[in-house]
Amino acid sequence: MPIIRVTDLHKYFGPLHVLRGISLSVERGEVVCIIGRSGSGKSTLLRCINFLEQPTHGRIEVDELAVNVERHRLTPEQKLVTRHIRMRTGMVFQEFNLFPHLSVIDNLIEAPVTVKGMKKADAIPLAEKYLAKVGLMHKRDEYPARLSGGQKQRVAIARALTMQPEVMMFDEPTSALDPELIGEVLDVMKGLAHEGTTMLVVTHEMGFASEVCDRVIYMDDGQIVEEGPPKLIFTSPADPRTRQFLDRLLRTEASEK
Amino acid sequence: MATQVAIRPTLAQQILQQQAQAQRAFAVKVIISWVALLAFLLFMFSSVTIQIGPIAIRTIQLDRAFIDKYWRYISEGAIETLRICFLSIFCASILALLAALGRLSRIAPIYALSTFYVSLIRGTPLLLQIFFFFLALPQMGIVLSGFIAGVVALSLNYGAYMSEIFRAGMQSVGKGQREAALALGLTQSQTMRRIVLPQALRVVIPPVGNEFIAMLKDSSLVAMTGFVREIMWRARDVGQSNFRGLEALLVAALWYWVMTLIFSAIQSRLETRLARGDR
Repeated sequence: MPIIRVTDLHKYFGPLHVLRGISLSVERGEVVCIIGRSGSGKSTLLRCINFLEQPTHGRIEVDELAVNVERHRLTPEQKLVTRHIRMRTGMVFQEFNLFPHLSVIDNLIEAPVTVKGMKKADAIPLAEKYLAKVGLMHKRDEYPARLSGGQKQRVAIARALTMQPEVMMFDEPTSALDPELIGEVLDVMKGLAHEGTTMLVVTHEMGFASEVCDRVIYMDDGQIVEEGPPKLIFTSPADPRTRQFLDRLLRTEASEK
Repeated sequence: MATQVAIRPTLAQQILQQQAQAQRAFAVKVIISWVALLAFLLFMFSSVTIQIGPIAIRTIQLDRAFIDKYWRYISEGAIETLRICFLSIFCASILALLAALGRLSRIAPIYALSTFYVSLIRGTPLLLQIFFFFLALPQMGIVLSGFIAGVVALSLNYGAYMSEIFRAGMQSVGKGQREAALALGLTQSQTMRRIVLPQALRVVIPPVGNEFIAMLKDSSLVAMTGFVREIMWRARDVGQSNFRGLEALLVAALWYWVMTLIFSAIQSRLETRLARGDR
């Protein structure tokens, strides 16, 4: 039984057809990377899975919670289901989105206390466990404004983990970071992958994708063009569009060095 | 090479020193000018006549005995003024918050109620509103004391003006904040209460302080309905019955100025403290 199953997902922004019939599933313990040009719909796909964007049409299943959307506004029952989907999916954003008015530890316990009704006394040790995991126990009582970009993103990862989600989703987690800070975030993500965390990662970091992912999905123009193990996708892609994308990426990376 | 490295910091230090000196000199000049202006203002009320050739410059003559006698009586009105203002700014903030939420609502009647309220209040004078609550509501069987009518009018009036402040405050909280909260499973109202509003309030507090300072003086209009024993009412009370209107008003003016100075100082402190929290 997959942890995430998306069936024939369509998303329109006005007349713009951004997702054109996406179907995909993620198994428990699997690390799946989604790559593709900007504007190909990768981020929108993630944001549809936890309903930050409402799909126009299609079926989303997360951990046996299912929502069927057919061009209608969500019913109150469906809204409740989406909230439970959000509780079971951790989301890490490109722009971190830490709560600036809360200290690091309060950022972490906010959702467990407010959403799950956990006691503070129970939430704090849990939060500290994940803070230690991302290596930032010493920043426990700092405010986000005093952290570097890499530290902010690691706190954001810990914040999502503190809800103990079934699956972690990363939306270009290193794209807003200075190059020298990318490594520390990727290291944390590698650690999570090795521990068997289920992960769905939208990324431009091909090194990470080829090293850590079990499966790579290449998206173009709102569709999944091809998917497979990273070795196969990166060395002998079947589709010319994938080949073109990878070629161009390699060339720009080479010219940057 | 070594000399270059040594010279650079001293040059920077020199520039910084010069800048600091210039700032200090400016501040001293400002203080001296303030003292001079204050002295001139006091001189205007000294009842002295200065003869320069054919021109006689006469200053304003004040009845010191009257001021000594009624100083305390008028001053005690400051407590009532502050009571009115604290109560009104509190109610006005709640109204402003509701109006701002209404203004951001996508439910048509709620949006309409909010914009109608703001338009009506901003389109009529405060003095008229104060009289309205004092005069019109009794016809509906609701008799308000001058104090309550004043607080209601001030609250509604300032609530309408402050709704823009609250709206801007809420809009200053980025979309990413809401998304992060929702993605963690918070409901819409939890997101508003726990994430958006606390951040918006920080933005809102300094301008609300400004509104409070403006209200200190607008509260004098409440005296027009009679029987609200704040500064202005007391000043007019003893001023008119003793034919010493000017003296009484000057005592009132002094109090308004002093209160404004005090609250401006508090407000600017608050502003720097809140700004520091962001760094």
